[in-house]
Amino acid sequence: MSFLAPLFLFGALAVALPIIFHLVRRSSREHLPFSSLMFLRPTPPRMTRRNRLEHIFLLLLRCLVISLLALGFARPFFQKPMPSSPPSETGRKIILLVDTSASMRREGLWPSALAKAGEILGKTSAADQVAVLTFDRQAHSLVSFDQWASMEQGNRAALTAERLGDAKPTWWNTHLGNAIISASETFAEADKQAQNPSARQIVLITDLQEGSRLDGLQGYDWPRGIEVQIEPVQSKRPTNAGLQWVIDADDSMKTEADTSPRIRVSNSANAKREQYQLRWEGAAGAMPEDIYVPPGQSRIVQAPKLPAGITGERLVLTGDDDDFDNTAYIVQSRAEQINVVFLGDEEEKDPAQPLYYLKRAFQQTRRQNVQIKPHPTSAPLTAGELAGVRLLISAVRLPETQVSVLQTFLAGGGTVLFIMKNTASAETVGRLAGADALTAKDVVATNYAMFGQIEFEHPLFAPFADPRYNDFTKIHFWKYRRLDAGGLPNARVLARFDGGDAALVEVPGGKGRLLVLTSGWQPADSQLALSSKFVPLLYSMLELAGGIKARVAQIHIGDTVDLSGMTASTNTQPMTIHKPDGATVQLGEGETRFSQTDMPGIYTAGSDQQPVRFAVNLDAAESRTAPLPIDELEKLGVPLKRREVELARQIEQKRLLRNTELENQQKLWRWLTVAALVLLLMETWVAGWLTRRSTVPAEGTT
Amino acid sequence: MTSENTVSLISPQALMSIKNLELRARVVVEGFWHGLHRSPYHGFSVEFSEYRQYSPGDDPRYLDWRLYARTDRYYIRKFEDETNLRCHLLVDNSRSMTYGTLGYTKAQYANTLAATLAYFLYLQGDAVGLLTFDEQIRAFLPARHRPGHLRHLMLKLEEPPAGAATDLDAPLQHIVEIVKKRALMILISDLLAPTETLEKKLSALVACGHDVMLFHILDPSELTFGFGKALMFHDVETGKRLFIDPATARKDYLKKLNAHNATVRSTCQRLGIAYRRFGTERPLELALFDFLRERMQSGTLVKRRIA
Repeated sequence: MSFLAPLFLFGALAVALPIIFHLVRRSSREHLPFSSLMFLRPTPPRMTRRNRLEHIFLLLLRCLVISLLALGFARPFFQKPMPSSPPSETGRKIILLVDTSASMRREGLWPSALAKAGEILGKTSAADQVAVLTFDRQAHSLVSFDQWASMEQGNRAALTAERLGDAKPTWWNTHLGNAIISASETFAEADKQAQNPSARQIVLITDLQEGSRLDGLQGYDWPRGIEVQIEPVQSKRPTNAGLQWVIDADDSMKTEADTSPRIRVSNSANAKREQYQLRWEGAAGAMPEDIYVPPGQSRIVQAPKLPAGITGERLVLTGDDDDFDNTAYIVQSRAEQINVVFLGDEEEKDPAQPLYYLKRAFQQTRRQNVQIKPHPTSAPLTAGELAGVRLLISAVRLPETQVSVLQTFLAGGGTVLFIMKNTASAETVGRLAGADALTAKDVVATNYAMFGQIEFEHPLFAPFADPRYNDFTKIHFWKYRRLDAGGLPNARVLARFDGGDAALVEVPGGKGRLLVLTSGWQPADSQLALSSKFVPLLYSMLELAGGIKARVAQIHIGDTVDLSGMTASTNTQPMTIHKPDGATVQLGEGETRFSQTDMPGIYTAGSDQQPVRFAVNLDAAESRTAPLPIDELEKLGVPLKRREVELARQIEQKRLLRNTELENQQKLWRWLTVAALVLLLMETWVAGWLTRRSTVPAEGTT
Repeated sequence: MTSENTVSLISPQALMSIKNLELRARVVVEGFWHGLHRSPYHGFSVEFSEYRQYSPGDDPRYLDWRLYARTDRYYIRKFEDETNLRCHLLVDNSRSMTYGTLGYTKAQYANTLAATLAYFLYLQGDAVGLLTFDEQIRAFLPARHRPGHLRHLMLKLEEPPAGAATDLDAPLQHIVEIVKKRALMILISDLLAPTETLEKKLSALVACGHDVMLFHILDPSELTFGFGKALMFHDVETGKRLFIDPATARKDYLKKLNAHNATVRSTCQRLGIAYRRFGTERPLELALFDFLRERMQSGTLVKRRIA
């Protein structure tokens, strides 16, 4: 017999009450009137001796009534064997998903993760199939289902644990979303062959840090029958502060004085400390600097000042719990030397010549230093002189030798801007463009000419596409050379005068391109050099020519670095990259993209004479090590498995429900209550009879 | 007293079987007193008593001028008072007095005692008044000596007790206010009430010049608490019920009762009040003897007190 509310059985202890009452010899029926009780105090009830229990039968009845009531309230029922769920014969499929992101480098996390994995592996049965995936930014298969199956049955867990033991946390950031989805897809692949999919479980061993990326999980269509069990590993010291190098979008206008890099230091919300120190490592004479960051906030601070002439590359934060994210690698960019060759015999100081304006168009900035190198037409031009040059400008007819050099330059990817100062230069244009008999005619505009039609889609004019800047009507042209653009092969007219004649023509040549401006910017031809569009247009050309490289943003672990923009040379020999740990990576022929940025530090690429250095830093998100609430995953629809306690609770609930049903069917309490009522009636009758019996003779005597 | 042992006395049980109160009183008093008592008081009456030499301060009204003329000395003429004694019987008729274990109650005993005294005094020609009380005053008869007054008094005494509690303060206060003439106050009560204010009220009575006698009447069971088995005791005044085992409670009860009685006794002693406590089993003649003894002693007692 079982009970639905067994606590009510304690009510049966109330049988002590009638027993006590029967033992108490207080015949309350007898009263004695007394004059005054002012001198009397109540006497505590005295017990009679046990053998003097009065009215045993009545006592039994009363005890029985109380016991029956207590029993009834406890809702008894007869237990039936519970239909047990059929034992799973097929075994489960388990994917062990182990976090190897940088945050797992925290003290004690990785060993405890391994211990947890070992524990889970130890619990697997022979019928189970297990795969082990490690994940950081992506998931990597460590042991596949097939490998597991091929292992010797008794040794599977040990071997797998051993393999897992060889793995180490990487420096990558955590993409939990990707990892879970990869695991789910691994199941899908494995189940393609299987006829009946067995129970599938993803066991996620992770520090579940706040900085994990979860995108991708939202809206993911979860296959049925997968459950995700999270086994979080906790760090003993969950607080952390991280630092990040903040790169300004445009620091070209900054002076040398305020070039010390800016650092964002963020503190975790549960941190107990607010005071940290920033110092340059490996820089002699650099003083550490105290910084104050309240918990849960971030501060952007200037890195400590370095003594003149000393550069620091490693900025270290001290004072927080975990060290893995406390170093920022910083490589300050240096001004880039850009050479532009001007072919011509013009006087630099002659304001009537284009060179005069060209020289003044490019200002020296922190990021680049554009140097115009005039080269006389008479002197022979060598390929060596053009090494590293991306833009070449010419305005006059060139001798044959130079034309051929220019042709090679064009074929090699260079850009030539040809300003047609006179009709004679048409021949050179023709030669360069590959149209031999090209002639031009001087046109003097009746009033003035201006750009009438501009192709703003072209990269050259794209910066001007905005309506605020696309007004070119202020630029008046007095003279220009009419060129038959149709005679130029593959020519594209980028701008036309209002008369319909071509103003700026682009002719592709080899890898490079030839730009032909049919007018000049010197005052005799036009007002172009005086207009506000002149400098932007020249920069636009320089950029088009590849002279100005796109700014390399912050490089994080795992980012692919495009080295083509970094190395100045156009040579095509394979590139060698030295990693911070001394390893060397050789890129393939013509390959410029480097993707093995798998540790923080300073990488060196290129030749020994002109090394390009770039810093790779840890993802700032990885510093956010506070535990992520599991609810977040639940909100994203991850089918989380309830933990053991919850499972037990669920089973308990089920059992309770079944018990309630059984009890409801049997309803024993009713019978018990009826019995109690019957006994109560009997008790009343017996008690009444006893009272009558005791009072009748008493009356007789008085 | 030797008379207690030699004289055959009527047992109270036998006496109480006489239903009529007056008859009972007469039985007690009959043959008890034949000219024993003379009033010690002198009053204004026609019956001459004696001459006394004048001393300054005497009322000159009573100077006998004829005698002065004869003897050239001042004499005061003294007369016997017509009613020698004014006596007020203060009888407690509260519900606690209805208790009794001897077949009659304390109230019956007290009323018989009061009736006996009244009859006795009446025969002497004294004026007798009555005041019955419980927690308030039930009946009051002023002290008179006239035919029919005694009968009236007996009827009042025969009224059954109705009050719930005992309150001595109110009747004492009342009697102080009403009775201006000095009188003999005989208080008959079981005194089962708190004694805090008793002294104050009694002293007021004494201060008014009254002679006070206190008959403290208790049932023998109250004095000994000789109950056998544990019972639910039921206070007849308050209705309160207590479960009491006499075996354990007796000691405490007697201690408290004795303390109470001692308080009353010492109060009476301090105030010069004649105090008699006895159980209801005591023959009434003895009470009467007590009364007379007290009367004879009272003069000396008062004098001693004044001295």
